[in-house]
Amino acid sequence: MTFLKDFINTLSAASTSFLLLTSVFAFVVFFNLLEGKIRSKVGAIFIAFGTLFVVVGFAVRPLLYLGIAYFVILFMLSNLGGRLWDKRVGLRLLIGALAAFGLSMLDPNFFLIAAKPDNVPIGAMIFLLGIFTWIALRKAYLNDRQLAAGGIPWEKTESDEKLFTWPDLVYTEMLCMILLTIVMIVWSIALRAPLEEAANPTSSPNPAKAPWYFLGLQEMLVYFDPWLAGVVLPTLIIVGLMAIPYIDTNPKGNGYYSFRERKWEIGVFLYGFLVLWSFLIITGTFLRGPNWNFFGPFEYWDPNKLVPLVNVDLSEIIWVKLLGMPLPKLWILRESFGILLVLAYLSLPPLLAAKPFRRFYLKMGGPRYYVGSFLFLFMMALPIKMVLRWLFNLKYIVHIQEIFFNI
Amino acid sequence: MKPQEPIPHNYSMAKLNLIFAVSALGLLFVTGGIVLYDYVRGWKWFQWEFIRIQQERLQQDLRAAQQGENRTRMAQLDKQIKQQELTIAAHRQQYVLAQRDLDQWEGQHYAADEDYRFAKANLDAKRYELEMAVLQKRRDRAQTRKEYIDLSNHVDDLQLRLQAVTRDRDAVQARVNAWLKKIKDAEDTRKQLTASIDLVKKQLAAVSTNGQFFILNAPMLDFISPTFKIDQVVLPDLFVNVNYMEVPRVDRCQTCHRAIDQPGFESKKEAARLSAELQQKLDTYQIPQNKRAATEQRIAQLKRIQDAPQEILNPWRTHPKLDLFVGSASAHPLLEYGCTSCHHGMDRATEFGRAGHVPPNAKMERRWSGFWNVAKRQWGYEENPFDETPMYPRQYYEAGCVKCHANQVQIKGGAQITRAEATVELIGCYACHKIANWRFTGLRKPGPDLTGIAEKTTPEWAIRWISEPHDFRSTTRMPSFFYQRNMVGPAVPAAERAQNIKYQDAEIRAIVEYLFSKSKHRVWPAPGPGDAARGKQLVNTIGCLGCHVDTETVKGATTGEMRLARRTDFPLERNYGFNLTGVGTKTNAAWIYNWVRNPKAYYPEAPMPSLRLSDQEAADVTAYLVTLQKPQFMQKPIRPVDPEAVRELAKGYLVNTRTDRDAEAKLKTMPMHEQLVYLGQRSIEKYGCYSCHNIDGFEGLKPIGTDLTIEGSKALHLFDFGFVHDYKAEDGVHEHVLHTVPSWIYNKLRSPRIYDDLRTKAYNDKLKMPNFHLTPEEARLVTTVVLGLTKDQIGADKIAATDPQTRAAQEGLKLVSQHNCRACHIVDGYGRAIASLISDTNFLPPDLTPEGARAQSPFLFNFLKDPTVMKIRPWVSVRMPTFQFTDAEANTLVGMFAAEGKAHEFDNAVYSMPPASNVAVGREVFNMLRCAQCHATTPVNPEAPPVPKTASTQSLAPNLTLARVRLRHDWIPDWIRRPNEMIPGTRMPANFPRDPATGGFISPLANAIDSPQFAKSKAALMPYFKSEADLKRTMADPVALTEYLRDYIWSIGITQIRAAAPNQAPAVIAPPSMPKQLPAMKTGRAEQGGGVTAGR
Repeated sequence: MTFLKDFINTLSAASTSFLLLTSVFAFVVFFNLLEGKIRSKVGAIFIAFGTLFVVVGFAVRPLLYLGIAYFVILFMLSNLGGRLWDKRVGLRLLIGALAAFGLSMLDPNFFLIAAKPDNVPIGAMIFLLGIFTWIALRKAYLNDRQLAAGGIPWEKTESDEKLFTWPDLVYTEMLCMILLTIVMIVWSIALRAPLEEAANPTSSPNPAKAPWYFLGLQEMLVYFDPWLAGVVLPTLIIVGLMAIPYIDTNPKGNGYYSFRERKWEIGVFLYGFLVLWSFLIITGTFLRGPNWNFFGPFEYWDPNKLVPLVNVDLSEIIWVKLLGMPLPKLWILRESFGILLVLAYLSLPPLLAAKPFRRFYLKMGGPRYYVGSFLFLFMMALPIKMVLRWLFNLKYIVHIQEIFFNI
Repeated sequence: MKPQEPIPHNYSMAKLNLIFAVSALGLLFVTGGIVLYDYVRGWKWFQWEFIRIQQERLQQDLRAAQQGENRTRMAQLDKQIKQQELTIAAHRQQYVLAQRDLDQWEGQHYAADEDYRFAKANLDAKRYELEMAVLQKRRDRAQTRKEYIDLSNHVDDLQLRLQAVTRDRDAVQARVNAWLKKIKDAEDTRKQLTASIDLVKKQLAAVSTNGQFFILNAPMLDFISPTFKIDQVVLPDLFVNVNYMEVPRVDRCQTCHRAIDQPGFESKKEAARLSAELQQKLDTYQIPQNKRAATEQRIAQLKRIQDAPQEILNPWRTHPKLDLFVGSASAHPLLEYGCTSCHHGMDRATEFGRAGHVPPNAKMERRWSGFWNVAKRQWGYEENPFDETPMYPRQYYEAGCVKCHANQVQIKGGAQITRAEATVELIGCYACHKIANWRFTGLRKPGPDLTGIAEKTTPEWAIRWISEPHDFRSTTRMPSFFYQRNMVGPAVPAAERAQNIKYQDAEIRAIVEYLFSKSKHRVWPAPGPGDAARGKQLVNTIGCLGCHVDTETVKGATTGEMRLARRTDFPLERNYGFNLTGVGTKTNAAWIYNWVRNPKAYYPEAPMPSLRLSDQEAADVTAYLVTLQKPQFMQKPIRPVDPEAVRELAKGYLVNTRTDRDAEAKLKTMPMHEQLVYLGQRSIEKYGCYSCHNIDGFEGLKPIGTDLTIEGSKALHLFDFGFVHDYKAEDGVHEHVLHTVPSWIYNKLRSPRIYDDLRTKAYNDKLKMPNFHLTPEEARLVTTVVLGLTKDQIGADKIAATDPQTRAAQEGLKLVSQHNCRACHIVDGYGRAIASLISDTNFLPPDLTPEGARAQSPFLFNFLKDPTVMKIRPWVSVRMPTFQFTDAEANTLVGMFAAEGKAHEFDNAVYSMPPASNVAVGREVFNMLRCAQCHATTPVNPEAPPVPKTASTQSLAPNLTLARVRLRHDWIPDWIRRPNEMIPGTRMPANFPRDPATGGFISPLANAIDSPQFAKSKAALMPYFKSEADLKRTMADPVALTEYLRDYIWSIGITQIRAAAPNQAPAVIAPPSMPKQLPAMKTGRAEQGGGVTAGR
């Protein structure tokens, strides 16, 4: 049991990087699962990828766990196939997850964090997110199957029915209202408001955490400077959400659930929402302890835990480590590799538009293509930076302290 | 129009209705839940329970009042009343007739009275009419005047009639009253008897739980006027710090601690203690006459508490010291001081955990933590991590005194904290840890001067001493710095331990090398031949043992076997000087000789006073002290120092300021001796030796330790608890480390290196606080002081001892503490540690509690500066030492004595001359009371009066001719009247006993003057009185008699003594020539050769 907990503790540190690394691929697997098949070619790539992890993992220990976990999930998903959307299978998954959570509550350290009144809603959020995502995808799967068979979406058949406002709608709404009120009252009585000491600017709590809905942003601050993580990226999130109706002009899937007709749209949204937003909130709540250090779910939040701060800049890696030279005095020269790398990253859309993504370019038109792909690039900047940090201790790609411009 | 197609319902309406019904009910229940949740509070339960306890108590009181003799008397009265009623009934006819008569007369009286009053009103109106008629010269004024006169006559008639009727009515009334009086008298007596019962009944009604009580306290209705409510005291000038703002305290403790200010809810133990205390006061006439009855009632109440079936538990107990705290007549009334200002804790909280209760020990913590169970005293306690000022646990209660009383050496009623502060002063915590309050500033360095160490001892001794001072003297205050738990303890890995030992060896050797190389080398004259036996006699009798202990073993209290002594085995004051054991091993005859002759010659700030030993006496004492050897100490092996360890350590310091290469180069240029001196200097810096000792080269450095000025307010998270939870202390006691500040401090004191357990630290980073080998009791006392050092803000008028007179007194008391006067004297009620060594109380140094009221200031000043100016009791062998006080110090002491004795510093009555007649009467009274049996009245040399030759030491008394320059004019008669009350246990007989009834004095001559043996005296006295009655009146008056006695004593006294000799200047001794470097050392049994000296 102790071994298992230790394993999970280590794993959880690694699994964050794992989830981000593999989530892109996981979605591709999902697409294929939704279609009820895995192409042998893609499957071979995944297996090769996992094997690489395990092999490298013998040298870099977290990667070993990562690889193992990767295979476990891959196996689970491929075996389940189309049956993942079976109601009974869904229920079993839910019960399994609840049981795992309940068993974990027996651990005093886990209980201390999970049962904290502030954190209870985040715990509920994990399950609610899972349930609703599953329901949405299940509906999409059923519709897709129906559409493939030449049928019409389920919503279409439903919209032809007629219903009374009273009592069918208003009455049930009122019942929901009453029941929800009961739940809220019981909750507020059962879990006391987690009031702390009087605020004292000279002694801040440790860990000092943002409100739960900003924990994703706080997590971003670990990897980016405030001007990026606190200003540019949140602005782009809002702008990007506003831009969705103008970028996404796909008329299919309007008013009904469908995945096959909106693979990219749903994939990108779910990745941004589930992985880059919700998952980071959960991480910030349950896995970030004193001094914002990373703690496994069964680990004691020891304020004295020390983690070495040994991050380096890209310029150091290239100039000092690879080339064995001192850092150039001139910052433009020193940071030239980083700047080139960033420029290259940003010039991906026009390059890709030329050949591989030509189809997209033609379908969306220039402005939509460029706005959409730039937003996507900025979104992906976060997981890329995170993975670079974990694997290479990379602090900044571009680090110009002379003008306080760091990426 | 086409009829609409029927649309089917999506849901079953019946089912929806059912869901609605169920959920509506659910909502109702949870709404009730809100109300209930809001209503149910822990403190309400405590109040409810207290009502029950009160009812129980009052019913018990009621039963007590109704029982016993009251009961029979009441029954008698009831019977009497009934009998009277029967008598009245028997003569009912007469009574009824009288009553009827009275009624009739009442009616007539009413009518007559009304007629009279109305007529008088008419008369007044008529008078006005007449006056107006006269003024306006109206024609009918004559008529009006006539009418007025008629009316006036009529009024007079009516008045007469009224008087007649009233008289008649009163007569009838008296007849009726005579009937009624018989019953009324009995009823009045009964009312008096039942007054106390009625009071209890009224109180019972006030706490009854009737219908009204339930309505007032019902949920939702309890906003109107509930009896369950939060009680609070607002304290505008006692503050609680809320981050940058000081807000007044609002203490709500009374919400649950209901009876804290009401006597009658003491625990049985407290009740027993209090009733014994009060009874004792009652028996010794310490309680004024008008309060004796109330005191007796209180004792009866306390007795009832002891007999009650149920014990009162906290939080419903009365404060155990109502006379000092909380009580409205005490020094700290509840409404002005509240609770948290002393106890700490969250003032506004009303829940057990939130209020900041702190368990005093691990056992209590476990019990409190249990799920709420009243019977088991479990309160669901949880540590509140957000409480910045948790309460002081029980054993540290008196820490709360410090913040207001930091200006005082002694806190009245605070025996613990006074002793705790004295302990801190003695151990010398303030030397390393700055404590910036008045109490702990301006104190001398606790350790001896080391600038002349080479004159005093040898390096071999010093090395062994520093290694483990307690091996040499088990009671020493010098702490152990080396070979401690974090260096050589069981938790340290073996390889590291070996390395640590090498390093520690090197550091000790280096420190000694430094001290001896910097030491002065004066050559002190050697003593002449001395007699050790006489020396021993001197040490035992002249008072050395007041400050010094001369033994290292004591008999264990439990086992009865001899064991090594601890400091706590002796009175605090006797630990002031070093333990004399082994002093001959430590130092040499020449040094001892010169030290005991004049300590200030060696070191001008030496705390040791001069006992004015003659050269021969000093030689004898020296001869004795050098025989106090401890040879086994010098047999302890000294490990040869590893030069590599010295090099490594020295380099460790050198690389702080230079590169490794430069450090190596520098080391190469330094011979071993230089390396050692360098390392020694750095090690003295590291361990802070200079904080306690004067060391050449370390003048003016800041003390080494953490500033403790506001340590008691330091937040819990700033304390490093390391990894230790419990451990076995060096004295075998199993100690627990709770996660509280008091526990941290306590364990730090008990085992200063404990928080290094299991930690991985570099050698120089390990904890350095030395081990004082404190007993649990000492550690508790010191912890109390540290906890009391807070940053709490207090209103100016709450700070104690701020008026100039008290300040002067406290300065003096600080001097008393610094010079250890209490070793020999009782000052302000306690002290005289030497008493245990002197069996005959007549040979004890005096009790100085009344000294200010007793001695004249000029005498006291001179005597303090130079005790040779007068010898009051020449038979006492203990010598008052010469402290070489400065004038300022002597004045401070004189002022302190005056303030403590509640006397003015200056006494003009000193110059009064008694009339000759008074002197003559006084002489006669002196003879009659036979004072001369003990007191001599022949003039003597005040500096060397002869020892009276008497059969028994009981009758040794001072020569009275010395009284006039010494004693206060007013004090003498007072002293003669009540010697035993002023100084309990004095040999002076009480000639004027107190009358137990009135508390006044009785004169023994009141009747004796008529006895034949005083016939001659009577005849001699007669000329001075107007009559025999006058004489007898005077002889019966204790005040007059004692004043005559005083006048006589005044008349025979000498009027002048010699002024104090000026302080001696420290002797200047020519610097001699002695080797600057250490000689090769004898390293004891395990002599191996090699070592440092070989490597040089």
